[in-house]
Amino acid sequence: MQPGFLSIRSLTKRYETMVAVDDLNLEIAKGELVAFLGPSGCGKSTSLRMIAGLAPATSGTISIGGKDVTQLAPYRRDIGLVFQSYALFPHMSVLKNVMFGLEMRKVPAAEAERRAREAIAMVQLEGREDRRPAQLSGGQQQRVALARALVIQPSILLFDEPLSNLDAKLRDEMRSEIRSIQKRLGITSIFVTHDQVEALSMCDKVAVLNGGRLEQLGTPNDLYERPATAFVASFVGRTNRLSGVAEGDCISVGGKALRAPGASKGKVELMVRPHRMVMTAAGETMPDFGSEPINSIDGEIRDVYYAGDILHYEIDAGGQVMSVERTTSGGETPVSPGSAVNLTWRVADTLVFGAAQ
Amino acid sequence: MDERPVPLTLKILAFVMFVFLLAPVVLVVPISFSADTYMTFPPSGWSMRWYVDLMHNSRMIGALGTSTLLAVIVTVLSMLIALPAAYAIIRMRVIGAEALLALFTAPLLLPTIVLGLAILIVFAGAGLLGTFTGLVIAHLIIVLPYALRVLTTSLAGLPLIVEEAASTLGASPLTVFTRITMPMMMPGIVATAALSFLVSFDEAVISLFLTGPRITTLPVAMYQHVETQADPLVAAISVLLIVLTLAVVMIVDRTAGLTKTFVK
Ligand SMILES: Nc1ncnc2c1ncn2[C@@H]1O[C@H](COP(=O)(O)OP(=O)(O)O)[C@@H](O)[C@H]1O
Ligand SMILES: [Mg+2]
Repeated sequence: MQPGFLSIRSLTKRYETMVAVDDLNLEIAKGELVAFLGPSGCGKSTSLRMIAGLAPATSGTISIGGKDVTQLAPYRRDIGLVFQSYALFPHMSVLKNVMFGLEMRKVPAAEAERRAREAIAMVQLEGREDRRPAQLSGGQQQRVALARALVIQPSILLFDEPLSNLDAKLRDEMRSEIRSIQKRLGITSIFVTHDQVEALSMCDKVAVLNGGRLEQLGTPNDLYERPATAFVASFVGRTNRLSGVAEGDCISVGGKALRAPGASKGKVELMVRPHRMVMTAAGETMPDFGSEPINSIDGEIRDVYYAGDILHYEIDAGGQVMSVERTTSGGETPVSPGSAVNLTWRVADTLVFGAAQ
Repeated sequence: MDERPVPLTLKILAFVMFVFLLAPVVLVVPISFSADTYMTFPPSGWSMRWYVDLMHNSRMIGALGTSTLLAVIVTVLSMLIALPAAYAIIRMRVIGAEALLALFTAPLLLPTIVLGLAILIVFAGAGLLGTFTGLVIAHLIIVLPYALRVLTTSLAGLPLIVEEAASTLGASPLTVFTRITMPMMMPGIVATAALSFLVSFDEAVISLFLTGPRITTLPVAMYQHVETQADPLVAAISVLLIVLTLAVVMIVDRTAGLTKTFVK
């Protein structure tokens, strides 16, 4: 692997009773925005705290721009950090909060104030320079935290679930704002989140973590179309699962033979994205996949949910529950529960993983 | 406090309670302006003679000076010791921090008279009886547990993440402490100073063991005075002490907010 601007090698954090981060290896290029995505407790914050120097690594190395910083105290690392709970200085005005990092860097007062005001303008808080943090809304406080981290032009900017405390509308707004500022300034950044939409829509690359281990690092498209593990396939986007037994690229699922690219031997799990399955009810014409190889199974509709733009079907296929979606076009009657249907999808859309991980 | 109107019955009840609690204290005020030579209520006449008497009582004035100086020195020293100790226990997580805190605050649980006797025995051997240094050390033993309690509680209540944010912005541990931690602890620090001052100034039991003909504190001098005389001089002193206490409380309230300091 080519060494990146931020290079993490065999990084491990062990607490008395457990391993929070387990042999993490990661290369991040300059200017990239990388998401750390994973369920709560998978080691995202711990990884970030080790990069920032707030938690000592048990073993492994972290280097920034070719310089090993593993043993460096946080205040010598030149890293900006934005926390979920803002962590503003309650006894200082907005301006003083933003100026703090510059003051620590011995920037002359006049220049520090000018740069702080610029940063405050960049996060659209002009006119609130003299307020205390307690006099601002959550969203405004997080903007101050962002300005405070940006103004020092850190070599790396870290975000630990910065939008989790904000309501949905504000979250969307801040997402695109953070993304555009990050791009404009070209700051190498890591964005921790447990929200896959956030990770996929904002970031150049996503590192999926699970149980302290890196499952996959890839572009959002990689993760969705070519997930490396069953965990990634089921955590990123939604999937239908089928368990079966593989013999070459032929898989027997409940007595029915299906095919998947590159299947191995033994027990396997098949996964198919709901919207890649086509449902055909009795009397409807089968879709045309051309010359592409397809898989097909029979099932019975259990439930239908109407969600405005889509109709959501739950289908019982030989004891395994599949969900399938159809976009609504107005005027149609949903296929009723109890009807026999057929599910068809391309072999290429079939993901296969070794079972029982 | 001022959001909802308080029912009248509750107001009356609160008033009666306060009268009950404060009556003995309030009684001291008219007695201090008595013209009599012994304490009675109501006084048969009014005068300022006991205040004038106090001004000319060199023993009381000397004791007042000793107590004030003692309380100031003890307050400063206890702050200098307890603040770093609280930081080491709460933030640096030194080995056995919990045990250390329990040990340091244990004197709070000891009967003062036992502590006084122990100090008497140790100080007698060390030649510290009847000395100002002895009083400072003894008062520190009394005051430090209070100071450490209030400061550790105050520090433990601060979000560590704010200090961490400062360190990622380039602040060294010392700068983080002076620029971030201390200002955020201000209510706790003011409360500790006020408490230390008042505990030392008011201390009578242990001082009684340690004072002698050469040096005495105000509470001890007052105690010895009422043992032999029943004149209203001590009432005049008491009024001055009430005024002093109120002044301290008001300074605390102005600088840190009283409810914020003592309730939370
Ligand atoms: N100081 C600590 N002591 C012991 N265990 C910890 C400590 N900090 C975190 N952990 C554990 O490490 C794991 C990873 O935590 P964290 O990195 O905070 O997860 P995430 O941010 O992904 O939700 C969790 O199981 C957590 O309980
Ligand atoms: Mg976390």
